[in-house]
Amino acid sequence: MTDAGVATPPGGSAPTARRRSWRSRLPEEAGVIIALVALIALIGTANPLFLQPKSLFQLLSSGAFIGMLAVGMVFVIVIRDIDLSVGWMFNFSAVVAGKLMVMGLEPFLAALCGIAFGAFLGLINGVLSVGLKIPVIIITLGTLSAFRGLSLIVNESKPILAPDKEAPFFTIWDGKLFDVIPSVAVAFVLLAVVLHILLQRTRFGYRVQAMGSNPDAARLAGIPVDRTRILVLVLMGAVSGLAGVIFFGFRGAIDTNSGESFLLPVVAAVIIGGTPLSGGRGTILGAVLGAVIIQAIQSGILFLGIDAKWSIFVTGAAIIVAVTVDQLVRRQRTRRARDVVDAG
Amino acid sequence: METGGGTGTMDRSSPSALPGTAAAHPAVAVSGLSKSYGGIRALVEMDLAVEPGTVHAIIGENGAGKSTLMKILAGAVRADAGTIAIGGVPVSLSSPQDARRAGVGIVYQELSLFPERSILANLFPDTQPTRGGLVDTDAMRRAALPVLERIGLNADPDRLVGDLDLDERQLVEISRVVLERPRVLILDEPNSALNERETARLFAVLRDLKAEGMTMLYVSHRLEEVFDISDRITVMRNGRLVWTRDRAGLTIPDVVNAMVGGSQGDLYPPRRTAQERSAVAVTAADGTPAGSLEVRDLTVGDELREATFTARPGEIIGLAGLEGSGVATLLGVLFGTRQATTGSVSYPDGGGLPGSPTAASRRGVALVPADRRHQGLMLDRSIVRNVSLVSVGTLPSRTPWLRPAEMLGAARRQIERLRIKVGHPEDPAGSLSGGNQQKVVIGKWLEVAPRILLLDDPTRGVDVGAKREIYLLVRALADEGRIVLFRSTELPELVGLADRILVFYRGALTEELDGAATSDTEVLHAINTGRRADGPDGAQEKEAER
Repeated sequence: MTDAGVATPPGGSAPTARRRSWRSRLPEEAGVIIALVALIALIGTANPLFLQPKSLFQLLSSGAFIGMLAVGMVFVIVIRDIDLSVGWMFNFSAVVAGKLMVMGLEPFLAALCGIAFGAFLGLINGVLSVGLKIPVIIITLGTLSAFRGLSLIVNESKPILAPDKEAPFFTIWDGKLFDVIPSVAVAFVLLAVVLHILLQRTRFGYRVQAMGSNPDAARLAGIPVDRTRILVLVLMGAVSGLAGVIFFGFRGAIDTNSGESFLLPVVAAVIIGGTPLSGGRGTILGAVLGAVIIQAIQSGILFLGIDAKWSIFVTGAAIIVAVTVDQLVRRQRTRRARDVVDAG
Repeated sequence: METGGGTGTMDRSSPSALPGTAAAHPAVAVSGLSKSYGGIRALVEMDLAVEPGTVHAIIGENGAGKSTLMKILAGAVRADAGTIAIGGVPVSLSSPQDARRAGVGIVYQELSLFPERSILANLFPDTQPTRGGLVDTDAMRRAALPVLERIGLNADPDRLVGDLDLDERQLVEISRVVLERPRVLILDEPNSALNERETARLFAVLRDLKAEGMTMLYVSHRLEEVFDISDRITVMRNGRLVWTRDRAGLTIPDVVNAMVGGSQGDLYPPRRTAQERSAVAVTAADGTPAGSLEVRDLTVGDELREATFTARPGEIIGLAGLEGSGVATLLGVLFGTRQATTGSVSYPDGGGLPGSPTAASRRGVALVPADRRHQGLMLDRSIVRNVSLVSVGTLPSRTPWLRPAEMLGAARRQIERLRIKVGHPEDPAGSLSGGNQQKVVIGKWLEVAPRILLLDDPTRGVDVGAKREIYLLVRALADEGRIVLFRSTELPELVGLADRILVFYRGALTEELDGAATSDTEVLHAINTGRRADGPDGAQEKEAER
């Protein structure tokens, strides 16, 4: 967590040297962390079972699939785009990997093929968007149906089942590290760490942020914006593929409609985490926490004994609260900069 | 308006409001007024006393604090510290309504009218006279017509403001404020949209108002007019008062010196002789003779036709031309944002036209775009990130990792070299003043040592001090053996800085002027006609062209 504070130059959070106070040294995600702790405390008070390590790790692993897609989506949103096809890239990649396993390919190898296939689907999105100069949101509106349709053709409208549930590929995803941490949660956290480093510590991440902050300035500074956009979408596809094959390993099956309902919670997790839809900056840690918050709301409602139907409503309300708070903070931060520009 | 009268009564009944002053209080007295925006001190302990019934001019460069002072007096901005007294009565101006009640009216340089409403409706934006609860347009008309007539706006008051010309709108704006009968009228560049005849008419109105006892604060960049209309002049610099003096006895150079901070030497650096330049060219960069930029018959659709010229290292080429003359297209082609139809260009590295801005940047071509805020900067990101935009974002590199220490070092290097005034390198670029923002844009290119600099109006919206620094810098960059193409919409700076001026007219390169031997008027004539004022060749060529 301190990592995020160091790696993100506190450009926007500390407009002046004089104002560089304890407040600006807090990580950007402080608000989300507090919200999550408060939420867990609230549910835990009502039902202490929720506070058991087992339940908490369960939270992390249940939120893992939404979360993996969300940390990938951070990159897409930072460049001011949105990829609507994530759920079906997830599904299609898992279907392809599963099909290969059924056909007898070594499961780990098949999984790698599934990830590569996801990257290939992302490449299609990227090349179409850049080549035709059409916004990603429009292209993926089309490819989301296309991928879904092709996935249905490949799986012949039937769930694909693991050929051998005792194979190591399936047992590891069912297992737990040190007997407490579910493997899925470990994979989610590892992916988040890798993507955090990619966004904050590499030239690629720098370009991604520059493009989102001011696309014209980035282009006129010579940043290869088209290539970077394609790479972001390939990354999104690969991450979807990874989530898909892990899902297949974890569940031992992929349904025809798995992933269908992922898009909205994925975007919600990114936004709740504090990545603005206006792009330019993003937080991987925030997206992780956002995914866990969404999961906590859904699980918490069960723990509180409330009808599960309410969870969707509460998730929606949480998005509005999160975005409102975020807006207020952002306005505070930008006001001073704008004032100076306006000063005669 | 009644409250305004009330304040006046109070004024006379409380002579002790400002102890020590003479019987007549200043119409406006400002003391110790300060205002900071983030780390920038826009106004520092400003003092000002405006005598009643005078026209008092406030002048200074962009960023001197004039507009901030006016906005505070108009209640649009709150001061951090200091006191304001209107007619001897201390006032707290926390909103435009407060200011209006205290008798301060302001005409802003940006028009603040409702274009889809009539002139009449604009004249009474929030306090319409009423009769029986309904807006009384007859009363509005009766009140407005004499004022409109006096201001000289000969338009039907029912016309929509959106249908008026810019200068007519400005007169509506002034009429609106005059109708409020303020005791102090602030005019912030009121004639920026007016021509000479209209300005003269405006000044006649202002003199009438003065004769009636109205006090006016007049902010303008046009010094001749300031000397024409004002009784006293206050010069501001860097948010501080330089001095306030009677206009009588002052000369324009006195005022200019005060504005820029004493004598700073010439605005433009000296030109180099051809010999000096060729010496520079040979010793440039890595010891190899620096090549030229050779443009041959370059054509881009209808926008640019068969442009041919050579830009040599060490030389500043000025590009002059109106909107649509092809100058912008030329810069776009050279930087790879536009594709040429025909023609060829040979770059110093031996290559031809770059296919993209990425290719251009990597081959040592730099572009400082005209629209700094939208195309030059990431306003919400730190100065560090902005300065490293090209070196980190664009240049190929062996390592995929960011090096924060190197990035900070680069920012510090450019801050020092370009003397960028910043609070901290991690501050957002948007917190800087215009001139310092432009230096950040230039700094990101200097970080990669480009061989060709394409500067598109680099001093737009920059104050005189920063302009001078940019001129010196551009000359220094040319002296290092770089090729500089410098486009400007300000003719004096083209004439002052460029070694040669290429004139573009309707897509064609029509004239080449010697920067040292030409004048503003000659360039002005050339960009408007495509020819020199008295070019006998020009006339022949024109014939030949047809």
